[in-house]
Amino acid sequence: MKAKTDLSGTSTGYKVFAAVVLILVALFFLFPLYWIVTGSFKGVIEINAKHPVWFPTSPTLENYMKLFDNPAFQWLFNIIFISAAAMVLTCITAALAGYALGKKRFIGRGVLFTIIICAMALPKQVIVIPLLQEMTAIGLNDTLWAVILPTVGWPFGVFLMKQFAETIPNEILEAARVDGAGELRTFFSVVFPMIKPGIGALAIFTFVNTWNDYFLQLVMLTSRENWTLPLAIANMQGEMSNDFGLIMAGAALAAIPIVVVFIAFQKYFTQGIAMGAVKG
Amino acid sequence: MAQNTVAPQQKPNKQKNSQFSGMSKALVRRETISAYCFLLPSLIFFVGFVVVPMFICVFYSFMEYGLGGIKGFAGLDNYIKLFQDPIFHRGFLNTVLIVVIAVPTVTAFSLWVSSAIYKMHSVPRSFFRCVFYLPVVTGSVAITVVWKWILHPYNGLLNQVAGTTGFDWLGNSSTAIWFIILILFTTSIGQPIVLYVAALGNVDQSLVEAAQVDGATKLQVFWKIKWPQIMPTTLYVLVITTINSFQCFALIQLLTKGGPLNSTMTIMYQVYDTAYRLNDLGYANAIGVVLAIIIAIFSAIQFKVAKTD
Amino acid sequence: MKKKRILALALAASMSLGLAACGGGEEASTESPSGNGGESTGAVELNLWSFNIGGFTDSAAWEPIVAAFNEANPDIKITVTPINYQDGDQKLTTAISSNNAPDIIFEGPERIVGNYAREGLMVDLSDMWTSGGSDIAEGISSVSQLDGTYYMYPLSVAAHCMAINYEAFEAAGALQYIDEETRTWTTDNFVKAMEAIRDAAAAGTIDVTVPGIIYCGAQGGDQGTRALVNNLYSDYYVTDDGSSYNANSENNVKALKLLQDMVNNGSMSANASFAASDELQAFANQTAAVTFCWNYSNYTQYAEQTQFTPFAMAFPSDDGKPELEMAGPYGFGIFNNGDEAKIEAAKKFIDFVCNDKTAGVEAVKTTGFFPVHSEWGDVYADAEDADVRAPFALMSDYLGRYYALTGGWTEQRALWWPMLQEIMTTGADVQTAADSFVQQANANIG
Repeated sequence: MKAKTDLSGTSTGYKVFAAVVLILVALFFLFPLYWIVTGSFKGVIEINAKHPVWFPTSPTLENYMKLFDNPAFQWLFNIIFISAAAMVLTCITAALAGYALGKKRFIGRGVLFTIIICAMALPKQVIVIPLLQEMTAIGLNDTLWAVILPTVGWPFGVFLMKQFAETIPNEILEAARVDGAGELRTFFSVVFPMIKPGIGALAIFTFVNTWNDYFLQLVMLTSRENWTLPLAIANMQGEMSNDFGLIMAGAALAAIPIVVVFIAFQKYFTQGIAMGAVKG
Repeated sequence: MAQNTVAPQQKPNKQKNSQFSGMSKALVRRETISAYCFLLPSLIFFVGFVVVPMFICVFYSFMEYGLGGIKGFAGLDNYIKLFQDPIFHRGFLNTVLIVVIAVPTVTAFSLWVSSAIYKMHSVPRSFFRCVFYLPVVTGSVAITVVWKWILHPYNGLLNQVAGTTGFDWLGNSSTAIWFIILILFTTSIGQPIVLYVAALGNVDQSLVEAAQVDGATKLQVFWKIKWPQIMPTTLYVLVITTINSFQCFALIQLLTKGGPLNSTMTIMYQVYDTAYRLNDLGYANAIGVVLAIIIAIFSAIQFKVAKTD
Repeated sequence: MKKKRILALALAASMSLGLAACGGGEEASTESPSGNGGESTGAVELNLWSFNIGGFTDSAAWEPIVAAFNEANPDIKITVTPINYQDGDQKLTTAISSNNAPDIIFEGPERIVGNYAREGLMVDLSDMWTSGGSDIAEGISSVSQLDGTYYMYPLSVAAHCMAINYEAFEAAGALQYIDEETRTWTTDNFVKAMEAIRDAAAAGTIDVTVPGIIYCGAQGGDQGTRALVNNLYSDYYVTDDGSSYNANSENNVKALKLLQDMVNNGSMSANASFAASDELQAFANQTAAVTFCWNYSNYTQYAEQTQFTPFAMAFPSDDGKPELEMAGPYGFGIFNNGDEAKIEAAKKFIDFVCNDKTAGVEAVKTTGFFPVHSEWGDVYADAEDADVRAPFALMSDYLGRYYALTGGWTEQRALWWPMLQEIMTTGADVQTAADSFVQQANANIG
């Protein structure tokens, strides 16, 4: 019955049109990944062919062998570590701060929130020079933490968690207080369970964003053993000549694990992301 | 109004001056202390790695600052230079172009896709949602390098298929920026679609049915009933897409480095370029400060508009 | 009211924090090193940042040299960080601006002298030159100094040249236009050869896509495009007295016009999305029949991929007398981090690598170039690939003037390739574009 009411007023022509467009666009979106994976198995001749080679006719592992002449697993580990650490720290700090901003009345709240809104879209390129000097001053220059800490400082998480915390009914907090629960107990036994879905959304968002934050990795990580996989792929073009086969092998290694995790858990993934706005 | 009863738990806007109404001074003090305790861990990071660097950045922007360190006070020189710098003008226009094109198209297209798929059977729905999210999880660098290969003038697939061997899509000052926007688009719509599919699924069906009984057309139902209910999602989509557009760095760095002829130069990229290729740190910081101000104004307007809506 | 006061307070607080932080930063720049090497009684740790010159692409390449050095100097620990031309400048700027400069850098005069010594960041190495530099050619010693003070100590040197796809030239009947003996050609013959390649490609005789590519998408490898333009009608990049850039001279404009015409008639191609590495790759996979960015280290890097004979050539010149740009001289500079012990240790290391004949010859061979010490003679005489190296040795005979220490060099590099883009890909008026380039480049020359 639901479907019937929803679709009434939609002509068949439009439905066909929509389906065709959707499928075409979907192919367009699938293609880069397909091209990365097949490209990573192509030899030099097929990579540089003058006519399209839609599928590797003589698949080879030479690109992967070249890739693993480098510390590729170390690079993969580095990016996973950076993303995971940034995710955990962001979730903890943002959940606490978001609750305070969303549910507490305190002096300076309006100003703080305004500053956070303004800083949210601030590109890190702007502040990178002082940031680097700070990292040197605290001895973290050229370490993975030099990428992690500024990521945690980005206030988007606080904004998101505030939106969630605001949906907690005041009566529940009031009841906890009447029961004599302290601030911390209120947070952990009442607030935390209620904003847990939001934390999930933030966790996914932070992990993916940190993974994709090429800029911070580029400026913060110098030593080869501290590179991340995305950074290494970018450095491969130029330094090790523009060998697209090798680059595609690197891109595949960077993309496949996270794509597999995403597809396996896509239900939780999409639920988590969706949390971000439905409540917001 | 009927909608109000189902509007997703929107808090009434707290008026700033009534924030403390009904609270004693002691309570305000207690609440303030406890609030800052909760805020402390986050503030350490925020102040330490965003606010303080921003102030240092402002300080540097008034200095003559090169590789050899600070050479002296520059006054407003860096800012005056900026307003006369044709590259900055170009970068400003390109930044505006990217934001003005990418944000509405991403929002509109993801809304269209979502409304086309949200009532599908769960298998195709998941499939499409997944596919559109793929470029996000594939990673910005991986996506960028594969596009670089696809667009390669001699060995790239696009030219091979189109029969335009040798045409340099990224090396042509009138086509390069459109490919930047296109790739930015593919990496930006994944999240909005997931958000919109969820939001549309949560729209109150009884209202939709009631309107249809009253003879409302499909379009009327959308604008009068669904649109207001998904407004919070739209605001969120606008915010994240704007941030994405302002910050697209990997694309420009790996594909065009701001060229050809500055046709893909953005303010953000000019900050990087000025600091790291030209080693003019004072000027780079001045550009950064102006960019920060532009973004702050932009964000403030977005929130104002969304709140009054 | 209250809110305003708090805002003001917060502003003041973060302001003072910020100022304190930069105050600290500046102090650190003069004092931090003594802090780092606090207990520098015996052991010294040195950071060596090495650009990817020749075979020095990773830290493994340095291991035998460092190991040999440590036999005599066990107290000095050398940590090598390889950097590349892709993002090396960014890494160095990052490090310098955050008081993290390495102790030793391995590069050429362009950066060591032109960028860093000019900013007062490098240590005076004149004493090393007095003790060990007597057999180094004047052309090399003159570019290792700034206003009479030496800031760089060189190891090896080469000449930038170009290369052609020998088989493609043969099949296209274009070998008649080159002098295989001297590896030179005239401008007229260059034009004819490129047209022959174009026609042969169109006829399907040879399997290349374009005769050659003028890459102008980034500044990497711009020595190639500079040398091409300057040689065509035998002019210079900078005027004789070094007071002005020279792209708008009559002969240089003529050269740029010739190239523009060649692009228009298809005997040359121009790509504004290409850096030198893209062009090299295109040469290696036979998309293009020539490359303008060739030397021994590129030869070895692409040897595995090339299914043809890359034949090194000098740049074409109307009088047949090419003047090539010096690749390098590559050598060392020491960043002044204020720690005497480190500076002494760094000098010891440089002395070992550049002046000890056993270690030095190994290091020179790793770069793939030629020693700056004339007394060392032909270090490749009994190398297996002596015949492959010979053409590159020949190129050293054509070395011309060195420009890279001209004032505003870094800034003008950022202007050169956009000018080429304008001329080659949008068909802009050559004189106007060149005038505008010179005007902007000269702004920083003083």
